[in-house]
Amino acid sequence: MSAANIIGKSVLRPDAHDKVTGGRGYPVNFSLPGMLHGKILRSPYAHARIISIDTSEAEKLPGVKGILTHKEVPQKRFSPVFFCPTGAKSLVRDMVALSDRVRYAGQPVAAVAATTEAIAEKALELIDVDYEELPTVFDPEEAMQEGAPQLHEDAPDNVAKNPAFEFGDVEKGFAEADHIFEGVYQTQRVHTCYMEPRVCVVDCDKQGHFTLHSSMQHIFGLREKLAYALDIAESRVTVVKPPYIGGGFGGKLDIGYIEILAAILSENIGRPVRMEQTRYEDFITTARHPIKVYLKTGVKKDGTITAREARSILDTGAHATHGAEVIVVHGLFGVTFPYKCENKKWEGFTVYTNNMIGGGFRGYGCPQGCFAVESQIDEICEELDLDPIEFRKKNAHQKGDPHPFNPAWSLNSYGYEEAMDKGAERIGWSDRKPAGSGEGTKKRGIGIGTQGIWVSGCMGFPDIYEHTGALVKLNVDGTADLASGTVDLGSGQITMQTQIAAAELGIAPENVRLSYADTDTVPFDAPTHASRATYSSGLAVKAAAADAKRKLLAIAGDIMEASPDDLEVVDGEVRIKGSPDSAMPIGQVVQVAESPFIVDTGEGYEPSSPPQHKGTIIGASSLAPPENPSPATALFVEVEVDTETGEVKVLRCVYAHDLGKVINPNAAEGQVEGGIQQGIGYALMENLVFDEDTGACLSSDFLDYKMPTAVEMPREIESIFIETNEPSGPFGAKSLSEQCVTVPAAAIGAAVYNAIGVRIKELPITPEKVLRALGKL
Amino acid sequence: MKQLVTLNINGEQHELAISPDATLLTVLREDLGLLGTKRGCDTSACGCCTIHIDGKAVYACVVYAMSVQGGEITTIEGLGENGKLDPLQDAFIEAGAVQCGYCTCGMIMSAKQLLNEEPNPDEEQIRHAIAGNLCRCTGYAKIVDAIKMAADNGLKGQSS
Repeated sequence: MSAANIIGKSVLRPDAHDKVTGGRGYPVNFSLPGMLHGKILRSPYAHARIISIDTSEAEKLPGVKGILTHKEVPQKRFSPVFFCPTGAKSLVRDMVALSDRVRYAGQPVAAVAATTEAIAEKALELIDVDYEELPTVFDPEEAMQEGAPQLHEDAPDNVAKNPAFEFGDVEKGFAEADHIFEGVYQTQRVHTCYMEPRVCVVDCDKQGHFTLHSSMQHIFGLREKLAYALDIAESRVTVVKPPYIGGGFGGKLDIGYIEILAAILSENIGRPVRMEQTRYEDFITTARHPIKVYLKTGVKKDGTITAREARSILDTGAHATHGAEVIVVHGLFGVTFPYKCENKKWEGFTVYTNNMIGGGFRGYGCPQGCFAVESQIDEICEELDLDPIEFRKKNAHQKGDPHPFNPAWSLNSYGYEEAMDKGAERIGWSDRKPAGSGEGTKKRGIGIGTQGIWVSGCMGFPDIYEHTGALVKLNVDGTADLASGTVDLGSGQITMQTQIAAAELGIAPENVRLSYADTDTVPFDAPTHASRATYSSGLAVKAAAADAKRKLLAIAGDIMEASPDDLEVVDGEVRIKGSPDSAMPIGQVVQVAESPFIVDTGEGYEPSSPPQHKGTIIGASSLAPPENPSPATALFVEVEVDTETGEVKVLRCVYAHDLGKVINPNAAEGQVEGGIQQGIGYALMENLVFDEDTGACLSSDFLDYKMPTAVEMPREIESIFIETNEPSGPFGAKSLSEQCVTVPAAAIGAAVYNAIGVRIKELPITPEKVLRALGKL
Repeated sequence: MKQLVTLNINGEQHELAISPDATLLTVLREDLGLLGTKRGCDTSACGCCTIHIDGKAVYACVVYAMSVQGGEITTIEGLGENGKLDPLQDAFIEAGAVQCGYCTCGMIMSAKQLLNEEPNPDEEQIRHAIAGNLCRCTGYAKIVDAIKMAADNGLKGQSS
């Protein structure tokens, strides 16, 4: 097999057979002999101080083996975010494993380990906690006011972080504008809805070494954060990579209470401890942050943007966690970078409230920014009678321009305009009708949402890890074992890595097996996040395979009496270039390398081959990618709005995306189709709802938290992949996964406007909001 | 106090001592090690634990194991014959309908009931048949394709 036969082909997933027959590899299925089961007692109050905790009755319950309260756990403050070093300046370390102060309803206050889950649950009921309730604040802008309850002593006005950027002269830019547009755009709190719950099994051995099996997206982050929170050396923690996990989407990018509490319980008791979250616990563990964006844009009559000013208020809940990073990504990539404009100013506020803490979610601050920026562009175009595609082209970055994130890089591959043009043609953009002009009660509309600048990983971000590695070992049967720390969330990292390794080695993808890995045995890998796996880990896998191949050809060259430079590997055989008859199977070369140095020939002992041929043929890499190339995206949607019921139906989606090069078309389409489901949910129905008085989560199961089912999804989702061949990427590839989630809300908002002539600037666009906007409620 | 029950699962009789309040999901996973049936929500809303009782797709998380004695219970492990995968399992692999795969087994069980009752379903019938199974990875597009593919393959198999 050559690269051309592997890259760009819809190779079947190596893990699919296992998954359709039961899927034993999920962390939720993992167990150890003698394992105990842990459960967590959570606060019913959104803000309170614990006066006392009495665990004496719970301790008496047969089967209870250990109980933790804030008195029994280290009070070391940490940030749970995986992808930054624990001591990073940009993080806010404001959490402890268990505290005597609770700041949101559902915060853990005690943990129990028992022989069964039922006993652990019973024990929770026997723990008596005496709380002193404290005043609460749930609205971030109220939290910033003088006199609001203060959640953290070292955060005046409840502001955990306050980044700001300024380019050019905004006042001058607004003075040059013919028109100034101002708007406020509000997004809601949504959950990633990974289907496999967060779960862990922690085993502390007699020497005090911790081994973790967990459903998280990053094995190295889990090792580092656990060691930090427990205040122990990192080398005392091993995290085992699961064969696969049941989804993540950014929702498993931080250490949870469960891993830390299970670890302490396991150490205290001397037995493995398992903790699995209920769906209610998952719903209050992680969410995309609501952000309110105040956006002001100055434009000339011809549509040139002269100035942009924005202020973003992010509700981070009880702790800063990801809110400390999301706000920056939102400000840069969501609001500031997408369009060229010399005069820009942005300020962001990460604000503490008594709401649940936020987390990672595909897009990481960008969907909130995109909804504001793209919605306002639609308003500008409507008001000034400009074509939304032409407006975007006028203000867009061009191929070859300096990258707005780092002017030392250029947009070497950049298919933004092509994405818009191809998508427009497919959706029938030129036939789009004026807003609200449809007849009848059910009105159709077409809308566009785009994202011109985004990432392929985290190269260039201060404090964020971006290096990765892999190991490739060749076997005597001609196959290869590939080991890397990259966790497959479901999005196909296993398939992509085996394809890239196979293409580089010159063997069939089914002859590459992704093998065991843990934090002891493979090079560091940054998390599977930030659209980085194909570009960054793909580069590392390619480099490790190239290293193994170099060693293979050196030995083969000796055997075949040829220079390694004159050799190639085709279909699993080493050949002298241009002479297929010279073929020697890879396995035969490996056999020479792996055989004993001295062999018994029956007539005496003889060397089997020279010493320099001996040794396992293994390739290794650990590297940082050279750049951070930007993908570019345009989504076109057609909706139908029922003006009697307010219901919005998405009928059709055309999604065009410049991803450099498609590694696996079927997997790439799957990413898009799933991303669009998450985007439609965000746009139209998903919302974590909380009791206004108590802060308790009211949408804590899938009966109350609505996400699109197969019935609500559009019947047509078309993916158009623009291949611009990114020079720095593996086989030309850059990123795909997050923009299909980012753009739907803006596109759907624009399509709803096109259908009914009314704009909704607060997500989700529910039937109630549509009817209210139409004056029918 | 545990009670003795006899459950017919995938054609085999299992005698078990279980708690009267144990759900079928718990018994399948924890007493029998049939891990293909997943716990996704425990509130009968996600569909990850879909199994068959007498050929009908049911959420195992809301069925007491005590209550289904005498019924024929089929889990994902019971699909396929003579070491071969069920056509639905093959189609899910072939169509790329599997991503994280956590919903897959439940999804296949719902689709199986559909194809048992309607060998040639249209797209709307397929979508409604899996409306009780949530998936967060695929947007359902390739799942719908897979079910259609399995139906087509089944019809071809009959005609040949």
